Amino acid sequence: MEVLEFILSVIVNGLSQGGIYAMIAIGYTMVYGIAKLLNFAHGDIIMVAAYTIIVTVNTSMPIGVSLPLSILLSIVICVLLGVAIEKVAYKPLRGASPLAVLITAIGVSYLLQSIAQIIFGTAPKMTAKLDLGAFKLFGVPVKFSAIITLVITVLVMVGLTMFVKKSRTGRAMVAVSEDRGAAQLMGINVNKIITITFIIGSALAALAGFCSIIEAPSVTSTFGSMPGIKAFTAAVIGGIGSIPGAMLGGIMLGIVECIANKIPVIAPYTDAIEFSILIIILLVKPTGFLGKKRREKV
Amino acid sequence: MFKKFKINHYINYFVIAVALIVFAILSFTGGIDNSTTLLLERIAISIILAVSLSLVVGFLGELSLGHAGFMCIGAYIGGKVSALLAQTGIGDGIGNLIISLIVGAVAAAACGVVVGIPALRLRGDYLAIVTLAFGEIVKTLFQNSSDNSFGGLSGLSTPRYNKTTLFIIAFVVVLLTLAVIQNFIRSKHGRAVTAVRDNEIAARATGINVTKYKIMVFALSAAFAGIAGVIYSFSQNKVMYTHFDYNYSIEILVMVVLGGMGSINGSIISATLLTFFDEKLRLWISQDFSKTQLAQFLTTYVIKGDLAVFKDIIYALVLILIVIYNNSPSLKGLREKLNLKKLLSKLFKRKHDPSKVKDDEARWDVVPTKIEMDEVLSTDVVIDDMGDNSADIGERGGNK
Amino acid sequence: MKLRKVLAIVLAMALCIGMVSVFASCNGGKKNYAENNTEFVIGLSGPLTGGAAVYGQAVKNSAQMAVDEINAAGGLNGVMFKLVATDDQHDPSLVSANYYSMYEGGMQVSLGTVTTDPGLEYKELSQEDNVFFLTPSASGDDITKDYDNGYQMCFADGNQGAAAAKYVNDNYAGQTIGAFYKADDAYSKGIYDQFMDNLNDNVTVVSTNFTKTNETNFATQIDTLKNCKFIFMPTYYGPASLFMTQAKSIIAPDAIYYGCDGFDGIDKIDGFDIKAIPQAVTMLSHFNSNSTSEAVTSYVEKYTNKYGTDTLNQFGASAYDCVYAIYYAMKSAMDKGTAIDVTISASDLCDILKSEFQGGFTFNGKDQKGAVTGTNIKWNADGTVNKAADFYEIKPANK
Repeated sequence: MEVLEFILSVIVNGLSQGGIYAMIAIGYTMVYGIAKLLNFAHGDIIMVAAYTIIVTVNTSMPIGVSLPLSILLSIVICVLLGVAIEKVAYKPLRGASPLAVLITAIGVSYLLQSIAQIIFGTAPKMTAKLDLGAFKLFGVPVKFSAIITLVITVLVMVGLTMFVKKSRTGRAMVAVSEDRGAAQLMGINVNKIITITFIIGSALAALAGFCSIIEAPSVTSTFGSMPGIKAFTAAVIGGIGSIPGAMLGGIMLGIVECIANKIPVIAPYTDAIEFSILIIILLVKPTGFLGKKRREKV
Repeated sequence: MFKKFKINHYINYFVIAVALIVFAILSFTGGIDNSTTLLLERIAISIILAVSLSLVVGFLGELSLGHAGFMCIGAYIGGKVSALLAQTGIGDGIGNLIISLIVGAVAAAACGVVVGIPALRLRGDYLAIVTLAFGEIVKTLFQNSSDNSFGGLSGLSTPRYNKTTLFIIAFVVVLLTLAVIQNFIRSKHGRAVTAVRDNEIAARATGINVTKYKIMVFALSAAFAGIAGVIYSFSQNKVMYTHFDYNYSIEILVMVVLGGMGSINGSIISATLLTFFDEKLRLWISQDFSKTQLAQFLTTYVIKGDLAVFKDIIYALVLILIVIYNNSPSLKGLREKLNLKKLLSKLFKRKHDPSKVKDDEARWDVVPTKIEMDEVLSTDVVIDDMGDNSADIGERGGNK
Repeated sequence: MKLRKVLAIVLAMALCIGMVSVFASCNGGKKNYAENNTEFVIGLSGPLTGGAAVYGQAVKNSAQMAVDEINAAGGLNGVMFKLVATDDQHDPSLVSANYYSMYEGGMQVSLGTVTTDPGLEYKELSQEDNVFFLTPSASGDDITKDYDNGYQMCFADGNQGAAAAKYVNDNYAGQTIGAFYKADDAYSKGIYDQFMDNLNDNVTVVSTNFTKTNETNFATQIDTLKNCKFIFMPTYYGPASLFMTQAKSIIAPDAIYYGCDGFDGIDKIDGFDIKAIPQAVTMLSHFNSNSTSEAVTSYVEKYTNKYGTDTLNQFGASAYDCVYAIYYAMKSAMDKGTAIDVTISASDLCDILKSEFQGGFTFNGKDQKGAVTGTNIKWNADGTVNKAADFYEIKPANK
């Protein structure tokens, strides 16, 4: 029974945490694959989504109205924000060194965090209206929020895979990430594709924000930074630039984190364990699980 | 063979030494306060960190996000050694400091070698995340250390060195750092390193031992980060692991990037300015600015957090604007118009005519400071067997 | 060329070392930086930005409120007070810069730091210059150790852990209880360790912890504690409230959450409805914002009107008391005939305050009506506070 409980709780909690990481990691990996930039501000988009949801839900509207509205609103705001960041901070640097863009992204991240502190103060914003309860599965309590996260993750992954494989825009995205120059020559509007990438990435970040909020309804200005780093780690484990890789990496990281947290002796080392796994995987497979090998040429 | 003494090579030692002597005199005559000596200590630490990171990022062309991790090792190991020595006959004087510096540097260099090994197989973002991960692992290990070894959660207690002389020692160490790193860059080793940066395969083909140089650069860079850490531990009563998180590594990286990649002097200047303004701005906002009418208005009507958050806003905005201004391809025209060097040369009517430069004046001893930025963040993975490279060139020939 | 390089370096170093040896003896004497003061300057270093900013803000706001009140009532014999608050972001590295900038800017007395980690750095610095500090909330056991210039208004962590252990020994002998703490936080871990040390062998403890400052998902921890009827939670109210929300339907509804002074404010969090938690919530603390005592209600009302309920917590309440305690201690010394001039040096004022705090000075709030965080507050010789800790039931269980 002990073992069953342990396994079940690791599967449920690990998968839902992993799903959140995966959704963030997809945003990282897509932007990286297409715009060749490490969007360090990506984690802070989640923070914006979380604030939006909590503020909307805390209004006097009935939860049946405010919850869907809050999800919609958070997606709209995050998408607008993502596109605005791309236009103002990253687009002027297209063609400049990736390192310059990385530093700008870090600047944007600091800026978003500071603005959040100015608007919402330093105390955590919480809500009591998003408690979804739990049910018992083989005697183990399982939270509905974990199930919702799992469902959303699966839907997002299937939808995104279909989109990339079947739709014109999706294939154009793959083309741009493979070879931007050639894609442009084939008549693909690269600027438009980059904008669409940011739209999708930000929308996924908003969903990840929603999933984090139903799990733990509290947000501060630094809410997104650690999940952001973890998702970046997940994206690299899976092979940065690869969407299935990001999913795999995210879920793996979530499960590892969950197991480590369950064992009191190693719980304080959780971060170290996750990062060690990253280093070991990269040493064995330098491009991550599903990353493409590229030959260096003279 | 004696070449002409090139003042350009020594200008930075000279400026730092003069500044140091002026401040040293002031310090011993009671002309400067503790807050100034403290600021000077912090500036010296930043310079050592920025210059040593510049070696990896600017000259080897690899992105490192774990520099604070090496500093952490130096601070903890060096701090522990100094705490132990202070109880023995050596006391807490200069002898203690020198031994701690050496031990801290060696410990950090050893870790530099460990991080240098993945660098052989990984490049670009992959290496960046590995260095970031390394820094976080180091932090976690010290955090979970036992109370008797490295203090664990409550941090390591280290003896605070004499405040009036520590900054002098720190700046002497800055001079030493510059001497070692600049000599390394200008030596044949330095040229080999830049060759690896510019084209690894070509460098390998010409017989350069890439493995050796990569590990050498990581170890050297880590050693000086470790030294910065030891000095930091001497300027503190408590060394806390929380200080060495990835945000601190990023701060050091920002110093290097704003100073101009591959420019040692640029790193020195930006490290000095950033540390100075960071400290002054924080204190100014919470002390002088908070008493003004504008601040009263802002705290009452505009902001919900504390006024102190404005420092972060200013830092973020300045960072974004400077990077965009310096790097945006579409602002190239503006940059050329406002080029400081050109304006100065116009002012002094000294026209630079490239045709008048004689061949034998060409500066072989200066490492090219331009760097293909793509190299720093490319995902290309080095593959050790070079067997079938020719096939690749045939396929997608020469996109480099 | 190589020779010259080496020569240049050697020369520069020789010059520096020469300087050191020449001037080593003539160190400048200590100055009284307060000699131009027109007000008494109280210093404070606390986290005003970053993860712990909510505590720093509470302390700064409350201390400012107390200073404003004292000034509005005419100050100390006509001399006004001024609060200087600097931001240390809960990072000990920034404390020395804050300290020197305040000290050299004329600070005469201080509230130390808000949190423990920076406080350990602060106590060394303030000891060198002999600057008095009475910290509202740096509760680490080491804060007041070693030197005689530091005092606490809050309970030391160790004492809180021991008090909690006593409660458990008395009520839960032979049973299994749970413990939930933050493993990388000196406050949380400090209390937890003392709690475990003082616990009898016949109590079994299931422990679980978390480490990340911004951790919000406690699913695994809740899972571990799901069979416990009594959960000891020496954490701050932020993570505690999240734990409770997430554990609502998993932990038994008749369980008891038992916290320390970090729990205070848990019923005032915007968006957290403590009434909706089925379990009972209790705490051992020196401040309860729901108390009906006059001092507390007047403080809570004033604070809420000015700054809202977001940052209303025991940190602020304690800081409010600290400012008044310093004010009354100075007043008491003056009543005894000690001259305290507005330009008194920090060191001189420190000696006066030390003799007050060690000489039976009793603080009883504004106009002797009882302080916000206790009544008849005295200080022990080691700098820790001596006052009654109250056991507050914030919310009884829904039955």
